[in-house]
Amino acid sequence: MYGRKGFKLVSELDVYSDILPFNEALIKEVLQEMQSLYDANVANSNAIRNDNNMALLPSVQLRHIALKRNKRCILAYIYNRMRKLKELRWELGSILPPEINTNLINAEVQWFQSYNKSLAKYMRSLGEDHGFNLTTNMVPPKTLYVEVKCVEDFGKLELDDGQVILLKKNTYHLLPRSVCEPLIRQGILEHKRISRVNINSV
Amino acid sequence: MDPCEVEFLSEKELVSIVPNFSFDTIHLISGSVGPFRAGLPVKVPIWLAVNLKQQQKCRIINQDWMDADSLNEAKEEEKLSKLFTKMPSNHYMEEAQLLLNVASDDISDADRIKTAIKDIWDIRMSKLRTSIDAFLKSEGLHAKLDHLTAMEINSVRPLLPHALDQMLRIQTGGRATQSHYSGTSQ
Amino acid sequence: MEDNGDVTMTAEDDGQEEEEVTAQSVLLAIEEAWLNEKFAPEILPHRSDLVDCMLQQITHMEENMKRLDKEDLRLMIHRMELDRIKYVITNYLRARLEKIEKYTIHILSQEATRSSEECYLTVAELQFAKEFLANIEMLFKTIALQHMPGNFQTFEVDTLTVKPNLQAYVFLRANDRINGIIVPGSMDEEIDLEPGSQHIIQYSAVADLVKSGAVKLI
Repeated sequence: MYGRKGFKLVSELDVYSDILPFNEALIKEVLQEMQSLYDANVANSNAIRNDNNMALLPSVQLRHIALKRNKRCILAYIYNRMRKLKELRWELGSILPPEINTNLINAEVQWFQSYNKSLAKYMRSLGEDHGFNLTTNMVPPKTLYVEVKCVEDFGKLELDDGQVILLKKNTYHLLPRSVCEPLIRQGILEHKRISRVNINSV
Repeated sequence: MDPCEVEFLSEKELVSIVPNFSFDTIHLISGSVGPFRAGLPVKVPIWLAVNLKQQQKCRIINQDWMDADSLNEAKEEEKLSKLFTKMPSNHYMEEAQLLLNVASDDISDADRIKTAIKDIWDIRMSKLRTSIDAFLKSEGLHAKLDHLTAMEINSVRPLLPHALDQMLRIQTGGRATQSHYSGTSQ
Repeated sequence: MEDNGDVTMTAEDDGQEEEEVTAQSVLLAIEEAWLNEKFAPEILPHRSDLVDCMLQQITHMEENMKRLDKEDLRLMIHRMELDRIKYVITNYLRARLEKIEKYTIHILSQEATRSSEECYLTVAELQFAKEFLANIEMLFKTIALQHMPGNFQTFEVDTLTVKPNLQAYVFLRANDRINGIIVPGSMDEEIDLEPGSQHIIQYSAVADLVKSGAVKLI
């Protein structure tokens, strides 16, 4: 049945929310199917032209539809992986964790770097001099400080006022919300709770 | 729109606080606040009031309309009216939640107020669901929504426009089919 | 600290008269621009004038704050307000980027038909859009298209174009009185909008009004 492999490609997208390893093998199979469909159509078209064998026409049409569908499935597969990658840029930052990188094909790694570059250039163009970072301040600000638990060793963190905090696994901290946001998204910190804080005691 | 974004917008509303400190007028980009004189009420945006309260630098005064008796009256009016009554604030729900969460010790009758507001919300939401139902069934193309508040509009946002989109698709699809097969009834 | 009262600046109105606006009014305008952009299905004309102005305000304020004593109450309060303003600007610009990424081909072709005074995208956004399209094309070509037979190798711009649904329903509040809006899908039914009234209607009926500021999306 034509297009079954193309369908399999697309189904991979639905079921999982993370980016799976790029299914190079399946892509190759779909491309091979396209090639043989195409070759068959070339042969049939010649026969139609030369021998006026119109009976072949429906087969040609069917193969043509299957070809278009296969192309569509492949492009949908690539496009949707790209969309997930794009989301990850906003969620995790400009460097992807190794466990995601290993699932990408080289062209996707290239795409991610180009997107990064493009985005950085755009953000730098905002405002008069130093640009404006669009990857922070993504949630409505609530309190200035948040209580967080460090769940992964991170090391030293320097705050805007020069203070240096050591983020060790299983330690608790009261930190400025804007500093925590990206670290929480990256899974290094976890909300303890939004606290009622007497700033003067910090 | 995320409810936290609706709440963000509601935090611009003003509320009266009584600071326990004194300070000159502060010129914010969104306007001036103050001067602050310990013991004297002053109006500030809710986002500031909540933060000052959390730092124990002030107490919060009820909004005028956050009074259990007048809210209960409003509730009765809402029950009787077929249409939506005008609420004292476009953000009554969020304001009540924000202020009661952080300052229930300052606000007298907090529990009765909470209950009255929840009752009003329930009555209005139920009315809203009924009107939407009627609207969809009559294939409405436009409706006036005066007096609906931000949070209420937001709660039907996912549902209503999409349902209308679908209806439009079905309608125009039907018309296209009709013109194609002329002579079929309806 | 040089708190300068209610901040006033001059801004050019359509490059003709100079209009005195306050930072406060610019902030309100950006908030409205943010919500309009959030709820409109298509990308709207850019408001880089507002963004640049507000970013300048923020820089100015942050400079002033550096001179404040660490214990100064104003430090905390200004910081909180700046966080709020940054949130609005960030989400306004991100809403635009998301549309650019979703409707790239369509937006670029529409923009090509507009003169430089009427353009919807900023220079930087246009560049971003072009690069985004080029990067996708490269991605498709490298992985798949170049391995496809015959003229299936083409990057078919028409098939790949996604257009926003302008018939989508939106909620709006009228800023001014507006007469004679034709309700789409009706038999030429016309409605008038009172200032301050709220409505739900198809975006296509009010697109121009959103862009002119006569109504705002809520």
